[in-house]
Amino acid sequence: MKPAHSPLTGLLLPAAGFVALAVLPLIFSDAFFVAAVTLALLGAAASLAWNLSGGYAGQLSLGHAAFYGIGAYVSTILFLKAGISPLIGMWLGAIVSAALAVFLGAITMRLKGSFFVMSTLAFGAVVHISAINLRDLTGGPSGLAIPLRPSPENLIFAKKLVYTYVALVLVIVFYAVTRMIAVSKVGYALVAFRENHQAARALGIRTLPLRIGVFALSAGLISICGSVHAQYYLYVDPDSVMGLNLSLNFALMAIVGGLGTAYGPIVGALLVSVVSVVMQVYLGDQISGLTQLAYAAIVILVLLAAPTGLGPSVHAFLKRSAIWRS
Amino acid sequence: MDIYIQLALSGLFIGGVYALISVGLTLVFGVLRVVNFAHGEYLTIAMYLTYFMFQRVGIDPFVASVAVVPLMFVLGLVTERLLIRPTLEAPHVVQVFVTFALSLLLQNLLLTLFTSDFRSIRTPYATAAFQIGPLYVSWLRVAVFVVALMLAGGLAAFLKYTYIGSAIRATAQDRRSARLVGINVDQVYAVTFALGCALVGAAGILLSPLFPVNPYTGADMILISFVVVVLGGMGSIAGAVVAGLSIGIVESFTGYFAGGELKQLVYFVLFMVVLAVRPNGLFGRKGAEVMDVT
Repeated sequence: MKPAHSPLTGLLLPAAGFVALAVLPLIFSDAFFVAAVTLALLGAAASLAWNLSGGYAGQLSLGHAAFYGIGAYVSTILFLKAGISPLIGMWLGAIVSAALAVFLGAITMRLKGSFFVMSTLAFGAVVHISAINLRDLTGGPSGLAIPLRPSPENLIFAKKLVYTYVALVLVIVFYAVTRMIAVSKVGYALVAFRENHQAARALGIRTLPLRIGVFALSAGLISICGSVHAQYYLYVDPDSVMGLNLSLNFALMAIVGGLGTAYGPIVGALLVSVVSVVMQVYLGDQISGLTQLAYAAIVILVLLAAPTGLGPSVHAFLKRSAIWRS
Repeated sequence: MDIYIQLALSGLFIGGVYALISVGLTLVFGVLRVVNFAHGEYLTIAMYLTYFMFQRVGIDPFVASVAVVPLMFVLGLVTERLLIRPTLEAPHVVQVFVTFALSLLLQNLLLTLFTSDFRSIRTPYATAAFQIGPLYVSWLRVAVFVVALMLAGGLAAFLKYTYIGSAIRATAQDRRSARLVGINVDQVYAVTFALGCALVGAAGILLSPLFPVNPYTGADMILISFVVVVLGGMGSIAGAVVAGLSIGIVESFTGYFAGGELKQLVYFVLFMVVLAVRPNGLFGRKGAEVMDVT
């Protein structure tokens, strides 16, 4: 079992990390850099949400882009058609997503491993295809554009830097939620289920309602990220907010950083964006696919060499060398 | 009335190819207990190989199979050795995402090499057709259908009547007992995975005179294949064939009555219904798919 956090790793280190993330875009205020940090933070927040269910309960969903997309569409449609502020719309989107997640979870939560993965793939595809075809509501494949009318109550800002801090707030809140769940009875029950569902059952832990609940929470939180995504780009279309690659990325960021840890998705998201920025700078966009190629290769290497993710592997390595020294 | 028969026939013919793609996937799952999420990319690779042999050297797709199928078998052996074997005992998340990342890797490798342009093979016999009463039937589609079913039948016979086939079935039933009676389980895994790749390679060859190829062709096909495999029952060859043909027919009818995009919606919804109601499929062994937890 995990030992209780020491004050250093439990509070000071994350706080220092968040302060660094908050200060960095102020020092390097280049638009390209700010955009990269913003997207990395938004990715980190989404991956944190995915990790609640995917990491702690081991329910490897590849349909979370559907919830992300629902968040983006619900807030946007409400804003465009009814003039409802995205600040309210994002909560309605989260409720829709969570309700769908309860429905999906009730059907699929008894499926084992790969069967669950495939059922979430199919769910993601159903929502994606629906978004393409419900033209009156979603604008079809060409999507919806949000007019640039900057005002805080519309969550539209002329200065892109503001979105960096919106995303950072999401990351901090989701991180705190994760930490709270991880040390609660719910968190331990989920981990027990993930590690050995028969043993968990033998101990009398009823995980089904917990797993569905956390799945819904995860869907609701990622839906909020989707709403922010829409406000950041001022544009929503099915492929960019619901594509399978998006679902895959949420999962891979958590896996690369450290599945089922609170910091893992943040570490993973930052690493992934560093790699993609470096690739873009040195290779340019002229060869499409090369960035993704390198990304996939890195993921395979991490899975083979450090299957628990980079964070926990580095941690274990430091611990080993510390014992060696003493 | 004629239109229904025409739709059923064209669905049946394409269903033969779906069956062949899915047979490879279901075989690998049945034996290794791994879902190969990169299965579709092997289809794409085989289609590109066939395309270039036709375009650069002028070899007919059906002749090219003599080279392409063995190449796909070897590619399968290499993949098994490098990525599948090292992760067989790893946590489930590693197994799932290794093949998913492989799919991403191959897709983008193909994208980098060949761009996302569609490439198609134009054979002189592609449009040849014969007429039965009011129905027009394409020779090529009939040939593709017959070859696909023969290959699926051939696989079933291979598993039933050869020594390696028995070893594969024994390993599928119980890997520990298989090892106890002296079966080299590692070798069985390698051969099975390679067979799966060779079969999907054959399906790729059969598809190439009918459909254009681009790096995402396999990814689209594989989703249909998941539906087929789960409907038929994971691990069941007969199930994959029956389900493949059925999905082909369902797709043909919904495509005609509901349009292209919605036909996908129909079979994904069907897929989720199958998973919810009967996750072990039509012919699947019970126990692989559901856990008895509360």
